[in-house]
Amino acid sequence: MKRQVPLILCFAFGIVMILTQFSPHSFSQGIYEEVISWTLIISPFALVLATATLIQTHVARIQRRTDHWQYSFVVFAGLITMVVIGVPFGPQHQAFEWLYTNIQVPMDATMFSLLAFFIASAAFRAFRARTFEASLLLITALIVMMGNVPVGDLIWNTVLGWLPLEDGASKARQWILDNPNLSARRGIILGVSLGIISQSIRIILGIERSYLGGGD
Amino acid sequence: MELFGIWVAALLTLCIYSFLYQDNPFYRFAEHLFVGISVGYGIVLSIHQGLVPFALKPLWAALTGESLSGLVKLIPIGVGLLFFARLSPQHVWLIRYPIAILIGFGAGIAIPNVLRANIFEQTRGTIEPFAAMHAGTLSGFGVLEAILMVAGVVCTLTYFFFSVEHRGPVKWLSKVGIAFLMIGFGSAFGNTVMGRVALLIQRVDFLLGDWLNLIS
Repeated sequence: MKRQVPLILCFAFGIVMILTQFSPHSFSQGIYEEVISWTLIISPFALVLATATLIQTHVARIQRRTDHWQYSFVVFAGLITMVVIGVPFGPQHQAFEWLYTNIQVPMDATMFSLLAFFIASAAFRAFRARTFEASLLLITALIVMMGNVPVGDLIWNTVLGWLPLEDGASKARQWILDNPNLSARRGIILGVSLGIISQSIRIILGIERSYLGGGD
Repeated sequence: MELFGIWVAALLTLCIYSFLYQDNPFYRFAEHLFVGISVGYGIVLSIHQGLVPFALKPLWAALTGESLSGLVKLIPIGVGLLFFARLSPQHVWLIRYPIAILIGFGAGIAIPNVLRANIFEQTRGTIEPFAAMHAGTLSGFGVLEAILMVAGVVCTLTYFFFSVEHRGPVKWLSKVGIAFLMIGFGSAFGNTVMGRVALLIQRVDFLLGDWLNLIS
């Protein structure tokens, strides 16, 4: 009951999803769509549980008065405001959209733009051309970066204007992305995909059971 | 309200950028608010795009007598509720049921899709130019690119192939594979840096334009 039933459920759902994708029959497609809707119903519960765990963590921080515990109230304020407005009135409500546009979107963009500074300092340390491979990485990154901005072509046309190739920076970038970069990515994708398929077969057949956790 | 929104967004942006100097209360406030708002947003979206259309609406239709098939949705709702067994130490094993269903579903849906999109399509894309070569429609440079593509994919896969010892020709193939991988990583790094810089430019544009009206 504790381990066998989950293994059977996993096997059944896995096999059903494989078989229904190979059959265009309306009955099979009906099952396929029903199972997809089931997972879309089950998934939000996992998110709510994750939120409950987040709340537990911050309540414990407040109770124990750990470092910066006061900021846990800010987490609650943001969470409660979004849920109180969004759940009953929906994401199209004016107040919810205001919060999304003026708080979430700017903070999201700023958080990621902050990485521009750290990535620059990381690049300074990583891009020291000590080996052939590091030099290759450095040169490729420089060409891709210069080819991404108009000033790259301006420099190319000014310095290398005597070459019979106009806007060479952006063209070199595109060639790198379409050829050696794509072949490396294809190699990685093929390897990862074979890994995903073998792992999925192991899960469906019950060979891989780590998702069940420990205990009985 | 729009002006107030711009001020809120601008102040939160500055709060986050203050981290560039050092960790401080303004940054911590914005960071915690971001966590709360993002989690709240995720909950609202998953409820309104998953639970409401796929579970509550069909269930309501069943309760009002419109369509009894909606009663089937009680099963995934019940399974989803099992996630909360996590909060009770005696019944924690029940959480394996919804996890097993989601894992089985994910594994089952992955096998045909990964096979189709990542293995067949990528392999086809790699060898397809040879058909054009055979038909005589590929230019000399195109032939070179097609050979480079196959060489890159084979060498990259050789680097990840650990079933034979990397000695002799295999060692050289894997060394060429590393070179292709470095070009791939360099391209990815270059694109990531430019993406982050674009976000930074957008935020500075917002601060100087929308907020301070210094640029039009």
